[in-house]
Amino acid sequence: MTHPMLAIPAALPAGSPWGAQTLAERASASQNLWVTAGYFLLAIVGVTVLLTLLGMVLIYVERKVAAHFQCRIGPKRVGPFGIFQTIADTLKLLFKEDFVPPQADQVLHILAPFLALLVPVVLLALIPYSPMTQIADLNIGILFVTAIGGFGVMGILIAGWSSNNKWSMIGAMRAGAQIISYEISATLALLVIVLFSGTMSLSGIVHSQSEGWWVWRGHAAGFTAFIIYLIASTAELNRTPFDIPEGESELTAGFHTEYSGLRFAFFFLAEFINMFTVSALTATLFLGGWMPFHVGDWAVLNGAMDAIPPGVWFLGKTSAVIFLIMWIRWTFPRLRVDQLMHLEWKVLLPIGIANLLIAAVLVLTNFYPFPH
Amino acid sequence: MGMIDTIAVETSERQIAGKTVAVSTVLRGRPPSYLRVAFSTVIGLLRGMKMTLGYFLSPEEIVTQQYPENRDTLRFPERYRGNLRFKFPNAEEHESHAALVTQVSQEAEVDAQHAAAWMHEDNGARWYHNCTGCGKCEAACPNASIKVITRHGEILDDRELDRFVWRLDSCMFCNACVQACPWDAIEMTAGFENAVYDRRLLVYNLNKMAGPRINLIQDEENPDVRKRMVERRDRYGGPVPLNGFGLPNLLPVPAPLPVDEAVDAMPGQEGSA
Repeated sequence: MTHPMLAIPAALPAGSPWGAQTLAERASASQNLWVTAGYFLLAIVGVTVLLTLLGMVLIYVERKVAAHFQCRIGPKRVGPFGIFQTIADTLKLLFKEDFVPPQADQVLHILAPFLALLVPVVLLALIPYSPMTQIADLNIGILFVTAIGGFGVMGILIAGWSSNNKWSMIGAMRAGAQIISYEISATLALLVIVLFSGTMSLSGIVHSQSEGWWVWRGHAAGFTAFIIYLIASTAELNRTPFDIPEGESELTAGFHTEYSGLRFAFFFLAEFINMFTVSALTATLFLGGWMPFHVGDWAVLNGAMDAIPPGVWFLGKTSAVIFLIMWIRWTFPRLRVDQLMHLEWKVLLPIGIANLLIAAVLVLTNFYPFPH
Repeated sequence: MGMIDTIAVETSERQIAGKTVAVSTVLRGRPPSYLRVAFSTVIGLLRGMKMTLGYFLSPEEIVTQQYPENRDTLRFPERYRGNLRFKFPNAEEHESHAALVTQVSQEAEVDAQHAAAWMHEDNGARWYHNCTGCGKCEAACPNASIKVITRHGEILDDRELDRFVWRLDSCMFCNACVQACPWDAIEMTAGFENAVYDRRLLVYNLNKMAGPRINLIQDEENPDVRKRMVERRDRYGGPVPLNGFGLPNLLPVPAPLPVDEAVDAMPGQEGSA
């Protein structure tokens, strides 16, 4: 039972660029150097446009959602329903003084925001948005995502260290401790999915969910992994309730205290793009990515679900996860540092390891609905 | 998790100084089990999420108001504390700006525009007052924003209000004067648009008439005596900084209602006549 869109490339002659499913495959399939360069350019432009659009939309949505969770209205004056508020804010940040503290490490201070933004941009290229829309599909996708995601803490640490400021330093150290701790749980949750699907490639994981999404098809193990990954990735995003690296009430603004103007905007943008990539990965790994809602071999239901385009499925699932993360942010209070460490090392890590063992037993006994 | 479980509350009686006193002993100290804490934590978090989702899904809960677009339909909280004014007997306590304009224009029989100008001038202060000049509001005011000036009334041979000077510029709207008033003579209103170009405009008389309480005027049966009991007081007369000054571009103060007409228009006259 494969998706009807996947049947199209098989009918094409071998060597045709349309037989490929990612931009990278198409680029390597073409014999013309200019076409390859064109695909390369298309990938860069696509990611840039996506980055800009996501930044604008997500910041606006966050403000609107936060307002309605707090009985307010939110942005309303700039443009219809305030949709141009983000542009106005960006223009304001653009015109602010670009200040680097005299005692700061000049090179690293300027470099840090770009490092912070680099991680989500690289991850944007790996996500399968639909069967035919993906820039590169690595066969070690999960490993690459984990490695690059771990690199994200570098930008924050460098920002805090190079600012030569106590608050920045403490915030960066907290962020380092937090992200490195929670990466363990996040990786354990990802391993559960790797066990279930038997592949590390992101689009392979999506294909493995054609009989049902792992969040419910993996019994309690899949659901537990979903919850653990959601908590751990929220902590890696430095979002409330895990925002102690920024902790306004105690650290001014944490690692980006000394940043102003457009460099601050880069950190801000990185946070929101990170939120998108985490939500997209959650949707891809646990909620089936672009795969429509299929239940085993129920042809009627599966056929009806196939009528909705895969891109819409992906967008809907990602939006739902983003809303969930925002909902959590505007409901829960911030954790203390010791509570944060308690939650990771004494709660999530034991549950994650036990969950991995249970998942291994499930896979070995082939004990889940609609086995292959 | 620093939760302490309350096991039970034991009540007993003890003799203290010859009296029997009920003593409650709360037995605490046994921490709840790990699973119980985990369960109650998750339940608590879910309850919080349910509550915020309720707010998210119900637009009628939104408290933000789009001032000044909704200036005529402003909603005020029940206990909103705005400008001080004399309370008119039996008047509605909380009115919108528009309703206030309508009411003032009907009372004084002027058009709405005139009434609005009037309201800007005196926050809709009433023609008659329930004030005896006892000065309890003045004593209660923490900022010394109120100065009650009394005089000796010739006809009733008693103390009566001459001027009620209020300093809006030093008032912090604590409502202590309203709570201190034994006669329920003053109230805090929904008026809040107080911007002026000269701060001397912020110190003024609240009362429109010098004289005794409205009940004492109504008890007098002779109309001529009633008219001699009250005396017109204007907003910036008496010991206020603006007294004697003329300000250019000042909002035109409406002509005061003649005392005779005001007394004739007094409510409740048929009861005493």
